[in-house]
Order: sequence, then structure tokens, then C-alpha cells
Amino acid sequence: MNRVRKAAAVLLVAALGLAACGDDPGGEGGAVELTLMVPSYGDKTQPYWEDLVADFQAANSGVTVKLEVQSWENIFDVVRTNVQGGKAPDILELDASGPAYGKEGLLYRADEIVSAETLADIEPGFVESAAIEGVAYGVPTVASTRALFYNKELFARAGVTEPPGTWDELLDAAKRISALGGGVYGYGMPLGKEEAQAETSIWTYGAGGSWGDGEKITVDTPEATEALDFMKRMIDEGATQPDPGATDRTPLMNVFIQGKIGMIEGLPPVVGQVREKNPALDWGIAPSPTRDGEPVTLGVADYFVAFKNDEAKLDAVRAFLDFFYQRDNYVRFNDNEGFIPATKSGAEAAAAKPELRSFLDALPGAKFYPAQNVAWSATSGAFKDLVGQIQTRPSAEVLREIQAKADEAAEG
Amino acid sequence: MVGGGREPAWRSLPWLAPALCLIAAVVLYPAGFMLVTSFRDLSQFGRDRGWAGLENYRRLLGLGHLPGVLLNTAVWVVGVVAVTMALSLALAQFLDKEFPGRRAVRLAVLVPWAASVVMTSTVFVYGLEPFYGQLNRMLVDLGVLDAPVGFLKTPLSGFLCAAAVAVLVSVPFTTYVVLAGLQTVPREVLEAARMDGASRPQAYRRVVLPMLRPALAVAAIINVINVFNSLPILRTMTDSIPGHGADTTTTLTFKLIQSDRQVDTASALSVLNFVVVLAVIVVYLRVARPMREH
Repeated sequence: MNRVRKAAAVLLVAALGLAACGDDPGGEGGAVELTLMVPSYGDKTQPYWEDLVADFQAANSGVTVKLEVQSWENIFDVVRTNVQGGKAPDILELDASGPAYGKEGLLYRADEIVSAETLADIEPGFVESAAIEGVAYGVPTVASTRALFYNKELFARAGVTEPPGTWDELLDAAKRISALGGGVYGYGMPLGKEEAQAETSIWTYGAGGSWGDGEKITVDTPEATEALDFMKRMIDEGATQPDPGATDRTPLMNVFIQGKIGMIEGLPPVVGQVREKNPALDWGIAPSPTRDGEPVTLGVADYFVAFKNDEAKLDAVRAFLDFFYQRDNYVRFNDNEGFIPATKSGAEAAAAKPELRSFLDALPGAKFYPAQNVAWSATSGAFKDLVGQIQTRPSAEVLREIQAKADEAAEG
Repeated sequence: MVGGGREPAWRSLPWLAPALCLIAAVVLYPAGFMLVTSFRDLSQFGRDRGWAGLENYRRLLGLGHLPGVLLNTAVWVVGVVAVTMALSLALAQFLDKEFPGRRAVRLAVLVPWAASVVMTSTVFVYGLEPFYGQLNRMLVDLGVLDAPVGFLKTPLSGFLCAAAVAVLVSVPFTTYVVLAGLQTVPREVLEAARMDGASRPQAYRRVVLPMLRPALAVAAIINVINVFNSLPILRTMTDSIPGHGADTTTTLTFKLIQSDRQVDTASALSVLNFVVVLAVIVVYLRVARPMREH
């Protein structure tokens, strides 16, 4: 009821505002229409944006925002098609491949699309990790790190007293849990298409490796080989679920939530999923195990970017993004989706929540994908399509194959 | 035709124009655009960077896994269509007999055809899931399997399962085409054949099959095109399998676009796909001469 009344009021105000603009004699360019495209993280995404757009329009007469929500599965194709057809959205939220459009000269710089105060509130690490040749084009929206979710009941049954910190401890704990039998497996390793690059990165970063930088993508490295060899050992020694090479992340996470997997790497939103789907599960969170126990894990952030469609719209773009980063609006966005905020003021608010602690703690040691390198998208695609083959082929061979794809993407 | 076979073609234009416009808009334009794209150099962000000559085709033919994918495609098309035709011939023969409840059975056969292919495939994806799949559970409970099997986790078994689903959804249409054909076979001709001493198999092979030729031709061509271009079944069922062991040219096209971000190479593969399917049909029409009046 309240919402209906509010929406009606907003519409009325917007209509009056538009009418006022029409009457304004000096109002050339007074009415601006912004197109906003965002990915959907879940059921709460679309209502959030609808409310925010309504609030923004109520506060800024003369600016209308056309919202388009796309699934993660489709948004890359939609953006690509739109860019190809010269119809790029004015504001786009995407993973780190969004800022990469800056390489083609299609984007405004980060300092052009938000005010200096907003930019000063954002954790600099996120902005820098997505800079292209030293220029930042994206402003981070949500951030996440990974941590190890573990099943305390299976730990107790297998006699594992504390969560593993190193690979060797992980292998040992996983084998003991797998030995329980009855469809229970020690470590959930999702190397299927959905997000194989993430699992592989956690392991490779854990061996002290990386995938290179803005200049060159390096996949075939000694660290990555060591990491993949150990993953292969996990598979061969029966420490993982069967067929990790073709297992996708979401279905496997559901199996963990059902209590059949001892340990699995997960994102902050998984906390909410476990509570909703199986509140009875006795689980805990620990830092991602690494080769020597050094704290490092994978960090991922999504970004807002703005396309250079029409110079006259830039003020409205900045007004909208500043509105989004206002503390209340921004914290509500992250609460909805269960991620970690990328602003300093947002992080203060999130630190009060114990379940987000492990993820916030991992932030200083988090390593990001080299998404500022234009060849990364194709490299990530190659990981999704190919890395699962380590189940049946030597890891060095698989890494060489992925390196070849990365080199090809770097050429053109 | 009657009385005026020599009418100039342009006279029929007003009646054909709407259909021709539609064909131009939804078939010729996209196909032409695809052909042009295959000779352009597109950035991974979709920007056109000018002519590429034969570069896209060179890159396509240089793919190490292309021969395997082409072989898969051939096995996929020949296997699915052949099994579909064989099953449909038998099923149509059965549905042509008089028996109580025939109408209900005929309707039931239509179900896989009426359901969305993506939905049917998704049902099998869930059913064959090793952790919570009902089909896996059933096979274990019946004692057929000792433990659940990841049917869709390895290239060979995933490919075979997808092929089985492709047969399942192709059989209804094919059966109905054959059934329609069977009903054009006059009873007297069959009776005459029996009177002349033909056994049942002989009568079927020498009388029924030749009269089914046009129906089989239509069914075969439509199935070949359909199965050749079939994307949703393989994409839903085998997309998570790493490597290219379960890929056909159609799923490879999608991987080129979505994973490798090479819209231009993907266009080249689509053109190749188009040429191959055209060649298959021309050869089929030439060799089997299915439309020949006897």
C-alpha cells in the first residue's frame, strides 16, 4: 500500500517535473534520458534498481532513467551486440570486463563519472585493479573474496579437528571425509563451465602464482603447473567428488548445503543461501587453504562504467552514480546481494556483521584477475572450456592449450 | 496451371510479394550479414575493424580440434537421423494397425514433440545428475547400477545421452510423416502382392517401402537440417564437459563467440556449416533420388 502510494507520488512528481522542464524557456537539454543496464544477482536485484531509479528521478527532475536488467548469462552478449550496433547503454554494470571497453576508447574515465568525494570513499585497490594502462574507467559496485566453507558435522565424524590451512592438510582432511562413504565427499571442486576460472585461480594464487598483468597474460607458469598438479592429485586420490572436470559450481554448492560435501570454496552470498535452504546445517568458514598457509585468495569486483554516447548526458550520469554511492543506498544494495561493499563507509557498516568478517579479513590478501588486460575475457573463457581436462590429461598440456588461447586473444 | 501455363511470372508478383519480403528480411538478410561478417575483422568487443580477407577461415581451419568436431557432427547427424528413421518406421507401422486406445497412444507419441526441447533436455540433466538425479536413483534402486553414474560428465556418455534425447524429440514428427505416407498405400495393392505369393517381409520391402519413398524423403531432409543445426540439446546437456570431445559445429560456434570472443571466426564456421548442410542435401537428392516418380 505504502509502496503504491510512494510510486504514485513519484510518478506525479516526475510528470510535473517533466512538464516544468517543457515550460522552461532555457531548457534545451533539460530533459535527459539515461539508459542503465545492470546484471541480475538474484530476486532482489530488479526491485532494488526500480526503487532507486524512482527515488533518483524524484530528486532530479528532468532526468529519466531507463532501466534494463539482464541475466549474467546473457548480459555479455547483449552488451556486445549493443556496442556493435552503436547502442551502448549510458551506464553499465559488469564484471571487470566492463572497464576493458576503455581500451577501445569507448568509456569515460572514473574521475569523470563520479564526484571527487565519491571517488575518495572507494577502496583504491579495487579501482586500480581494473585500470587499463594506468587509467581507471570503472568504479566498483560489489566486491567479494573467497573463503572455505566446511561442514562441522562431517569434520567431527571423520575426526578432523580444525579446518585445513595448507594443501597437505586439505588433502588429508578431504581424504578422511571421503572415506566416510555413503555419497559423502571431502572437497567439492567445481571445474565445470560455470566458473572454472575461479577455482583454478584460488589454487594458483595459493601457490604464489598469478595470471600476469595488463601487459601480458601468463597462464603456463611453474606456480600454475604446481597448483594444477596438486588439484589433479586431489582428484586422483579420491579427495574430491567424482568428475570435477564437468561439475558446475551452483549445483555442487547445493550438494554442500545438503550436507554431502566436507569443504568447498564459496562467496559471501552463500552464507544467506545456506541459512535459507538448510538452516540445520552445522557449518563454519575458514580462510582458503594455500600451499604453505600464506593467506591469499581470489578477489572479484563488479564495476560501473559509462559509455561516451553523448557529452550532454555526463552531468546526469555523475548525478546518478553519486546518488547510488550515497551510504544508505549503497549499503542497502550490498545487503540485498550479500556482497562486501567497496567503499570505506560501506565497509564500516559491514564490519558489524560477523558472517562477513572472514571475507573482509581476506580482502588485504586478495588477488584479482588481470581483467584490465583485454585478452583476459577470452582467457577466462578458455579456462571454462578447457581446464576441467586436467582430470584426464597432464596439467602442463592443458595449461599450454589455455596459454595459446590467451596469446591469440592478445593479438587481436 | 490449367489453361494458362504460359502466364508471365511477374503477374504472380503481387501475391508472392509479402512472402518474398518476409523471406528476404528473416532469411536472406541475416544469412548475407553472416557471410559478410565472416570476411570482416571484428574486435572481441564487436567493433568492425575492416576487411580480413580469408583470415577468419584460415584461423578456423587451423583449429586443432576441428577435425574431431566435424567427425562428431557427422556421427551426430547420421546416427540421430538413422536411428530416428528406423524407430519411426516401426512405430508408424504399429500406429497404423487398428487396436483399442489407438487414438490415445497416437496422442501420447506427440508429447516429446510438443514439449520445449530445452525443457526436455533440462529434465534429463536433472534426472541424470549423480547426486540427486531421479533416473540415477531409480537405476541404483533397481540394481542396474551399484552407485550413481555421472552420465553427462564425460564426452562419450554425454554425447550418447544427448543423441538419445535428440532421437526422442525427433521421433514424433517423423512417425507422423511416415504414418501419413502409410495411409496412402492402397489396401488392394498389398492384397494383390499377398495373392501373388509375397511373404509379409517381401510385401513390406517391395511394395510398402517404395510407396513410402516421398514421405521418407521429406522426413529425412527435414531431420537432417534439424539435427544438424540442433543446438539446445547438446548445449543444455554437454556444455559443462571440458574440452571439445562432445562438440558439434553448432556448439563450437557458440564457444567461439562466448568463450573465445571471436564473432568473425564463428561466422566463418557458420558459413562452413551452411555449405556442408547444403552439400549433404544436394548429394542426398542426387544419389537417393527420393523424389523420383517410379
